[in-house]
Order: sequence, then structure tokens, then C-alpha cells
Amino acid sequence: MEKISQSVVKKDHAPKVSGRSIYVADYPSEGVLCGKLLHSKVARAKILGVEVPKLPEGYFYVDARDVPGDNNVNIVLDDTPVFSRDTVEYIGEPIAMICGPDENEVARLRDECRVNYEEMEPVLDFRSAEEKFFDYHFGHGDVDKAFAEADKTYEEEFETGYQEQAYLETQGMMAEPEEGGRMFVHGSAQCAYYIHGAVMRALGCGPTGVHIKQDVTGGGFGGKEAFPSILGCQVAVAARKCGKPVRCVFDRREDMEYTSKRHPSLCRYKAAVRDGKVTALDIDVKFNAGAYSTLSAVVLQRGIIASPGIYNIPNVRVHGSAVKTNTSPCGAYRGFGGPQTFFAVEMLMSHIARDLGKEPLEFKKAHLVKQGDQTSTCGKYHFPVPIPEMIDEVVKESDFENKRREYAKAQTGRYRRGIGMSMYFHGAGFTGAGERDLIKAVAKLRKYEDGRVEILASNGDIGQGVRTTFPKIVANELNLPLEKVFYEHPDTARVPDSGPTVASRSLMIVGELLRRAAIKLREQWKDGEEQEVEEHYKEPDFVIPFYIDKFEGDAYPTYSWAVNAIELEVDTYTGVSKVLGAYGSFDVGTPVDYNVVMGQMEGGFLQGIGYASIEKMDYDSKGRIRNNSLSDYLIPTTKDVPKLKCMLHVEKYPDGPYGAKGAGELPLVGAPAAYLEAMEQALGGIELNHAPFTAEDTLRAVMKEVG
Amino acid sequence: MVNGYSVSSLAEALEIRSSHSVVPYAGGTDLMVENRKGVEYLFLGKIPELRNITEDDEYIRIGAAVTFTQALEDKKVPDLMKEALKRIAAPAIRNAGTFGGNLGNGSAKADSVLIEFVSDAKLRLASRDKERIVDVDKFYLGRKKLDLGEDELILEVLLPKTGLDRYSYEKVGGRNALAISRVSFAGIFDEKDGRITKLAAAFGAVADTVLRYKDLEETMLGKTIEEARELKEKYLESYAERMVLTQGRVSAEYRKNVCMNLLGSFLAKFGI
Repeated sequence: MEKISQSVVKKDHAPKVSGRSIYVADYPSEGVLCGKLLHSKVARAKILGVEVPKLPEGYFYVDARDVPGDNNVNIVLDDTPVFSRDTVEYIGEPIAMICGPDENEVARLRDECRVNYEEMEPVLDFRSAEEKFFDYHFGHGDVDKAFAEADKTYEEEFETGYQEQAYLETQGMMAEPEEGGRMFVHGSAQCAYYIHGAVMRALGCGPTGVHIKQDVTGGGFGGKEAFPSILGCQVAVAARKCGKPVRCVFDRREDMEYTSKRHPSLCRYKAAVRDGKVTALDIDVKFNAGAYSTLSAVVLQRGIIASPGIYNIPNVRVHGSAVKTNTSPCGAYRGFGGPQTFFAVEMLMSHIARDLGKEPLEFKKAHLVKQGDQTSTCGKYHFPVPIPEMIDEVVKESDFENKRREYAKAQTGRYRRGIGMSMYFHGAGFTGAGERDLIKAVAKLRKYEDGRVEILASNGDIGQGVRTTFPKIVANELNLPLEKVFYEHPDTARVPDSGPTVASRSLMIVGELLRRAAIKLREQWKDGEEQEVEEHYKEPDFVIPFYIDKFEGDAYPTYSWAVNAIELEVDTYTGVSKVLGAYGSFDVGTPVDYNVVMGQMEGGFLQGIGYASIEKMDYDSKGRIRNNSLSDYLIPTTKDVPKLKCMLHVEKYPDGPYGAKGAGELPLVGAPAAYLEAMEQALGGIELNHAPFTAEDTLRAVMKEVG
Repeated sequence: MVNGYSVSSLAEALEIRSSHSVVPYAGGTDLMVENRKGVEYLFLGKIPELRNITEDDEYIRIGAAVTFTQALEDKKVPDLMKEALKRIAAPAIRNAGTFGGNLGNGSAKADSVLIEFVSDAKLRLASRDKERIVDVDKFYLGRKKLDLGEDELILEVLLPKTGLDRYSYEKVGGRNALAISRVSFAGIFDEKDGRITKLAAAFGAVADTVLRYKDLEETMLGKTIEEARELKEKYLESYAERMVLTQGRVSAEYRKNVCMNLLGSFLAKFGI
């Protein structure tokens, strides 16, 4: 193992395990007002008025009229309101906030607010939703010709559901007016500068009128990418009106019902096959965006770019849309559109293979992309594609071929087994030209007189370990002990904008900036002096420029790769499945800390297995999310996958620090397809096409088979 | 702030129970989650009589404040009960959760209660002035409704000492730990001289209370295995007719299918 990969104790280990870390809810309450949101109780309505109960001294009612700047939260578009305009578009939409010193009193006043709605028919089913927030088309080759010349064609529809991030710490933000009129907003978040931009706009102030700090954050998984911008604006507006600090921390129910989740998807695939190979794919991807557009544009882009999978298909046509429904806005969640389309394409390839009488693994291998091949967006796979070796690793570790053969035989007992495999990538970093044109990351190092070095960057530690891995990189280049290099939670008043904590980019992009900055500092190091160095992002020379209007060019400079196998035992009496083993080979380049990366791989893989199996969330006929507690929405525990074997395959990326690539999101993406393929085999070779596939679904399939 | 009375003797507890409006608290694993406002608790965890597992000629007597962990470590507690106990929640909950609390919470999902139903257990209840023994199935009047007076406490579970050796137990939860039962099943079989002497089947988590149909069970008593096998189809049909299940976190249809599969599997296990 390389020196940089050797594990260290995480910098935040001791304060976290000893309970000394201060999360936003932990700051003392003295002088701080508690804010509670008045959420819409209906999915779609005009607001005719709100009857607010008489407010005791020191209590405030805050709504859209109190927004000093623009009542639109800047995310990708600006359609999300800080507080409702004259309509509400989903159950849970924040209409107003009640603030005051006593939490119970605030809750009572909030509950006594009477909102007069003029209800309208909500659009709930995204299959029939007509309003499109985003609508993209791209492709290459001659799809129509390939279908005309096909030996055989296939058409299939795949569906995936919601997934809730279920971070340990719920959403929470706090705003404190400072002397001179500046507003300080801090809380549980991934992207300090996103909030900075949003709050500036809501308060109608310049960049120095507000600063944002990330507090210790109990998990994000994407759920704290955009949502804290909305909540941050709300508490900032409230604090401005009240003239006092205001804190709003969601309870679990609020968090699960009203904050962003993974987009439910519907993917229709048509495939043309000639001479035993897939010659064309005609793909239609539809995501349920919910009531406002938030991050749906970029989630959809990543999803559709990955929609042909890791296969070299000469003719591809892709249509993607994100449609509006009167449900909670969906947003970022580990994988960011990839889990939906990889599920669809992996299942499709497997089904075609079986129809042609071939083993899915062999069929997929015959279609794999390799270095130098064209990507779905006419970019290039610039680096080696290590999938064949990774397949071998997983096959060996899981005894895949023997089991696959064995379980293909007729099974008749109560318990039946199956094993399945998936293979996929995660494009490392922002999609398209985002890094170059939008983010333009800047990172700094500040050396103090005593020789300690502070990292100045805006990436938040959300459990993925950047407070440890960034210092490891810098200490390594400066030949300093790790204690001499430190990285605090970012405050926009003192750190440059190195971009958001998203897209598996922090370590690969910002880590490399820091490595270069450290080299620069080393070269000009002067003992006993305070020094500062700065680095700016530069797109690597090899990148083929990406044009989002045409979906052409390199969507990503490089890719992280993975192969998963999952082995199941299905109880045909209860429908309950036991995961006998989950095996994953993951290529995230060089691990900058082995334990950190393995923690990410195991956690993400387990989260993916949850997405495939037990994590079911739905809304009722009124548009209300019913699974709003952790006993109604189950996530897997370690007891559910006792045998979870993750392996690292290192294919170094020359432009990442020491060869590191994106890591955080990769392990979640492929589990559903491997799980469902195993399920299909256990159930006697039937074809399945939706995830999660629950115990109820399993038993229904078993009963159908029995007749 | 939690308000309540911490007592160290049963007499004291019964006195407070009869004179104050209190919520009995033994373990608190449900009550702490409920976090009811404005109630006073009667903490029963320190009463020695309620923390013992003893036996007499007929019964294993499990005190109401005995924790699941304590019972799992006790040789006197029958295996069937242990099967259910070891799948309750997770170690921390098993360390705190008690038999009395599992009963008092009134849920048809309570895993220890299912075993009490299938084994015809009795409960010893007491108020300051009197004591009584009630069959567990009579104790449950309906959803969250118990035959427990405002002044009464649950003292003990009386579990029959014999006849629990041949059984089936199944718990279907949403996952392998920390899962509330979606369907639970316990069956007990016994025979003498080639004839069935017991064929008890109880279904948990599928209706307002644990379900058991003693009249249907009786139709099999005294039959040989051979005869029972012939009756099996009709027997299962009768169960299917009788079982009206509720929709919960899973559909009623799913629950019914699982119940019937598990009942069938139980019969098959003993050759029927």
C-alpha cells in the first residue's frame, strides 16, 4: 500500500465519538429564537390568506412579505420560493415561519395558524404529468437505420422509487445578525458558497453582507446540497425581521416528508440487436422532479449521460425529461441520477442476454467499452477501463460462475437462491464544463509563523473525511507531521470558493489543487514567516470541451468503475430475502486513506442494497408522504448484510492527487441491478423491472408463479 | 422533564397506583419514544418481586419487570420463548425492555406476547386490595385495550412448564434487526399414543390482537397424523376464511398469504 493510503485516525474522530462535537442544535438557546415552519397541508392551492393567532410579545410571524431581497432561492433556476408566493405546490411547502423564545409556544402558535386554501386538482402521478422542467435530447449514429436492420428488437420499461437520505442529523440552520448589519448563517450543510449566493439574494445584499459557516454535519448524502440554501434563506429572513438569532431544526418527520429525496424514475428502453450484439438503444428517461426544479436539471443530465451504461453501442438516441408534480421537490442523493439509469440498462442487457440464450455476464463483456472508445456524448474514455479485471476479482471472490450455474437449476424448496452482477461507472466530478465554467475552484494554504499550515477551502466534511484527507495530502507534500496541518469547517468569510461538496469531486479536484498549492508553498517556504499560497482550477489539456446544448464532448474527465455481485436467499413463504453475500470491486483510483475509502464503499454499497430492497417510500392519494419515520421507512442495518466484501482496484488518474478519483457516490449506484438479477434467478428466471423489490413484491411474484 | 414515582416495594407501588393517575413504567422502551406530555410515571424497575424468574409445579413465573436479556440468560425460560426474545429489536432494547411492558403496551406486535398466547399463559394482576389471575387472551380486549384496572399492575407471566417443546416460531420483520414484526407466528404441537393432543397456532401483528382460533384447533385433537393430513386442506380453508387481517405497513393480502404459508409449514413440520 502506498504511504498516502495508509490509514490515520480521522481528525474529527475524538470529538465525534466522545459527543463533544457541536452540531447546530447544540448551541445554547439563550437569546436564540426557535423558528418553526408553517407547512402547506394541501398539495396544490391558492392561498387566500393566513389567520395568525395573536402573537405574544417577542414572537414573530415571518412570510414572503418579509423577504428584503428576492423571494426566489437561487439553485439552478430560481423557481423555489423562500416562502410561498400566492400558491402552494406541494404538501409541506413552507408558507411562513413562527419565531419566538419558547419552542412549545412557537409550535402551538404555528399549529393555530389557519391557512385558507382554494384547492386545485394536484398532479401527483408523474407518468401523466405534462409540465416539463427540463427536456433534453442527444445521441449519435443512425438509430432508425439500426432498428430497421435489426434481427430482433426489445422494448422494456423500468421503474425506481424514492430514496430518503436518512442522515443521522436532520436539516438545521441558524442565522445570527452581526454588528454592522452583516448576517451570519451556519448549520448542517454541504455547500457553504451555494448558501452564500442564495442568502445574498434573499437579503438583497452584497457578498460581504453575509457569511456562511458549515457546522459539524451529521451526514449529507446529497440531501444537504441544495436544501440548506432554502432553509438558510428562511432563517436569515427571519433573523433580519426579528433582530435576533433564529434557529430552525427539523424534526425527523418534517425532514422525511418535506425535504428532497432521490427522484423516482421511469425509463423506457428500446434495443435493436443484430448478429447477437446490441446495435442501437432508443432511451426515454423520465424523472419525477416534484413541485420545484431545484437540482433536477443536473441530476437528469448525469442520469441520461449514463443511460447506455458502460457498453459500446454504436447508435444511441436519448431523451430525458424532468416533470413537475405536486409532491416534495426531489434533489441530490449519492449517485445523482446514475442509480436510476444504470438499474435500467443493466436489467435490459441481462434480459436481452437471457432471451438470446446467453449468460448476462458474457453478453455484457462482449459489449464493454474500452480505452479510446467514444462515450455516449461523443467524448472519449481517455484512460484504461479496468472492468474486465474487476469482473474477474468479483467472480473469484463470490464464486460467481459456480453459483450462477448451480442456482439456475430448478429449485423447489422453501428457500431459493440466486446471484446477480452489475457493472457501471460514476463520472468523476461535475458533469460537463461545470468545473471550468461555473465553479472555477480556488484553494489556499496559509502557513503561520509557528509552522502550522491551515487549509482554506469550502468543502465540508460530511463524514467522508475531507478534514483528514486534505491535511494528509498537504502534510505529505510539505513533509510535515499530520498534526501541523489542519482544516476547519469552512466559513465563507475566511475561505475562498473551492466549490461545493458534491459530485465526488472534493478529493479529486480540490485535493489536487491543495497538492499543487503545497508544492508551491514548499518551494517558497521560509521558516518563522506567515505565508499564503493559492491555486486555481485548470481543466486538464486532454479534455474534449463539453457543450451542454448538444450534450457533446467529455462529460467527465475520467470515471470511477465498479462491479458488484449480490447473492440472495429468498424465503418463498414470507417473501423475505437474505443477502448471503455482497461483493464489490471499486476503482476510485488511489485511496488517500484506506479506511476512509473502505468506509465509503461499505456504507454506500449497503445504502444501495437498501434502495434495491427495503427502502420503500410513497405518497397517498392526497400527495402526502406516508413513510415519515424511521420505523415506517426502514434502512438496512449491519445485520442485514453480514457478509459485505469490498475490494479496491486501483486505476490511477494522473490529474487527481496521487492518482485519486471520485469515490463517495460510486458504491451505491449498482446494487439494485445486481440484487434484482439475483432475485430473478432465485424466482426461477422471471423478468423483473422495478426497484425497490420488497418482500411483498417477492411474495406476489411467488404466488403468481404457483398460480 | 420526566415526572414520576420511583418505588422500591410492591406495596408502595400498588398504593400509588390506586391513589394517583400514573403510567406504569418498566423498561420504558416504548414510553420513551412516545414521550407523552403531562403524564406521571410509576417506575417499577426496582421492585425485587417483579424482577424474578421462579418456577412452581405448573408454571415458569416471569416477573413483569424482568428484561428480555435476563430471560434469555435464564435456564428456566423455555426455548420457544427465547426464540422470540432473541429477535426483539437489538441488544440495547432487550437489556431494557420487559415482559410487563410488552404486555402493557397493548400491541398485537409484541413478540413475547405471541408466545404467551400460543402457550395458554396466564397473568397475575394485582391492585392494593385484591389479586387475580387472568388468561392472556382474555386480558386483551381489543386494539390497545386491556383488562387492566386503573389501580392494577401486571405482576407476573405464568408460562406452562410442559408441552412447549415441539414448536414452530417465525418472525417476519422489515429487516434483520430493530424491526417491528409485520407478521409473527408461533405453533405448538403435541401428541400422545399417536394422537394429536395439541395443535395451537397464534398469529401476531396481523390484527388488533394476537389471533388464535381454539375451536379450529380442537377439530384436530384426538386425530391421528394420517387423519389430520386428510383434514388439512379443509382445516387451512377454515383458517383462511376466519382470518380478517388489517392493512398496516404491509398489505392485508400479503399478511394473509404469509400467515397461511407459515401455518402450512408448521403442519408439515409435524408430518401433517
